[in-house]
Amino acid sequence: MELKTIELTKKFGSKTAVNHLNITLTNGVYGLLGANGAGKTTFMRLLCNIQTPTSGKIVLNGKNIVGLNEKYRDLLGYLPQHFGYYPDFSALDFLLYVSALKGLSEKRAKKKSKELLEAVGLSAESRHKIKTFSGGMKQRLGIAQAMLNDPHILILDEPTAGLDPKERVRFRNLISAFAKNRIVILSTHIVSDVEFIAEEIIMMKSGQIIHFGEPQEITSEINGQVWECIVPAAHAERYAASFNTSNLRNTDRGETILRIISDRPPMENAVKVQPNLEDLYLFYFKGDTEE
Amino acid sequence: MKKLIQFELRKIFSKRLTQVTLIALLLLSFLLGFSAYQNMYAFDGKNREGTGRTAVEIDKSVAEKYEGILTDEKVQQMIAEFKPTQDLHGMNAVYLYQNSLQSALFRKFSDMNGNWNGLSVSDVFGNEEIKIGYTHGWLKTSENMVRIFIVLSLVVAIMTAPVFSGEYGGVDNIILTSKYGKTKCATAKIIGSILAALIVTIVVSAINLIYAFILYGNGGLDCSILFAPADFVEGYIPFNITCGTLLKYQILLAFTNTISITGITLVLSAVCKNQMVALVASAAIYLFPIMLPVTETSPLFKIITLLPLYHAQFVSLMSVEQISGNVLYALMAVPVALILMGIGVFISRRIFAKHQVS
Repeated sequence: MELKTIELTKKFGSKTAVNHLNITLTNGVYGLLGANGAGKTTFMRLLCNIQTPTSGKIVLNGKNIVGLNEKYRDLLGYLPQHFGYYPDFSALDFLLYVSALKGLSEKRAKKKSKELLEAVGLSAESRHKIKTFSGGMKQRLGIAQAMLNDPHILILDEPTAGLDPKERVRFRNLISAFAKNRIVILSTHIVSDVEFIAEEIIMMKSGQIIHFGEPQEITSEINGQVWECIVPAAHAERYAASFNTSNLRNTDRGETILRIISDRPPMENAVKVQPNLEDLYLFYFKGDTEE
Repeated sequence: MKKLIQFELRKIFSKRLTQVTLIALLLLSFLLGFSAYQNMYAFDGKNREGTGRTAVEIDKSVAEKYEGILTDEKVQQMIAEFKPTQDLHGMNAVYLYQNSLQSALFRKFSDMNGNWNGLSVSDVFGNEEIKIGYTHGWLKTSENMVRIFIVLSLVVAIMTAPVFSGEYGGVDNIILTSKYGKTKCATAKIIGSILAALIVTIVVSAINLIYAFILYGNGGLDCSILFAPADFVEGYIPFNITCGTLLKYQILLAFTNTISITGITLVLSAVCKNQMVALVASAAIYLFPIMLPVTETSPLFKIITLLPLYHAQFVSLMSVEQISGNVLYALMAVPVALILMGIGVFISRRIFAKHQVS
């Protein structure tokens, strides 16, 4: 399966949210990274065909998704960043409703809904009204609904928002098990989530892709620019403010270990370390909010 | 599709606002019916008078005495029986109310002192055969149902307004990315809305008719509305139709009314991102004809009366013209309702399918 965007552009008035974007996605898990307003959500909505591009197109195996209509949506699972629900529906009812929308038979809908409620840890609350759910529970329900039709293209916008660490681990395992022979695209601000499960990273800035590749491959761009240095705890804040600091860890000897991104050694005792995705993210998006 | 329609019906009827307004509508039906019954007054012209149940019994016994085809002899007998025994102190006898039959008689055959005005039955009604009897209960029911059906329209607007606009709060993301979100789901929403409107109209109409039947019995349904007591606007419909026919038309127009308002509200629901805006706009469009300064003599009257509000407030529409026999111009409300519904179906489905999530 090949999902391809060709010169994909979306403008809102004078603001260009997605700017002449060309990318080809084949089976695999893609992590979409970018600051707020980078165009991630718009890109995902365009992929879901719930926003019309200003220009350009999206093709699936060579066919424009607009023309594919129901056939394309049948392959699609989508978790929006902010999704609505029916407060008086129970979790099970909501999944049965979405199953009906996705064209599942009644028997399959019941089976699949129960399986997914179990998978996201909501089976005990399956008959509870959604209005009684916490943010994390609603998010898990959202993940379950996106997977009801065993989608070949799964698009998840901020799926781990509101999930506690245990739920995030459960989610990562669920996606990893599910992702075989499918296209999974997920955006998140929690870089470690992407690092764990994404095979490839798409980094967006100002509506354009600035990096696309495997995590090791794209982090290699800042090889030699990530440093660890030890400073007295009393001066740690001053140093952190002066440099692009990705981490700050206190030791029991009254010292602080700073992880700094800089093209030059920030201080004499600085030691080069292997960059990770979080470093790369900060390298590009430190203080960046494009909205 | 069946499952999707069931879910849409559930969504409509599970909304708190819908439930509250439906209960309020049913209460209004009971209160109006009960209050009309309790406030009824009748005096048999001799020694018996009363309100409520007694008034209905008096009216029925007076009507029973003269029921059948209205003749000049009956007019004379009734004039003699109901002639005022007290000084009216200058009041026109036409406005005197002793009982429903007397009121109907004086409206057509009395001078201002309560004496015969010299007109024969054929002078007043031409060649029409006027069947008289106890019509007061059914006419009162019809009068109440006008108010109830106007409120019903607003309830239908409340039920329909969130059908599309309610989804724009976030569920649209999920619906429109699902296989049938842009196709069968939109159709299910439309069918669900129409079914909900029809169900509510059937229930409200049935409750009012059953309630009237319990209070007044089934007598008088075959009597002419032309011999109605003075305070009923139904009596100004210039065609010799029976109470039964009047009610049939009224119920039919209640359905055309709810179908029309459903069509209008569906369009607004698909257009407006906010369900309150859709509701207010729909109610404003529905009630707008009240503002139009159009009288019965205006050439626009025939067109204006086809607007949904006049389906509920049906007397004006019923008064336009008789096409043939018992078939009135009011039947034109049926194609009007179908056109409004057709527009609603076509536009709302299209707008929802093309909706851009924001």
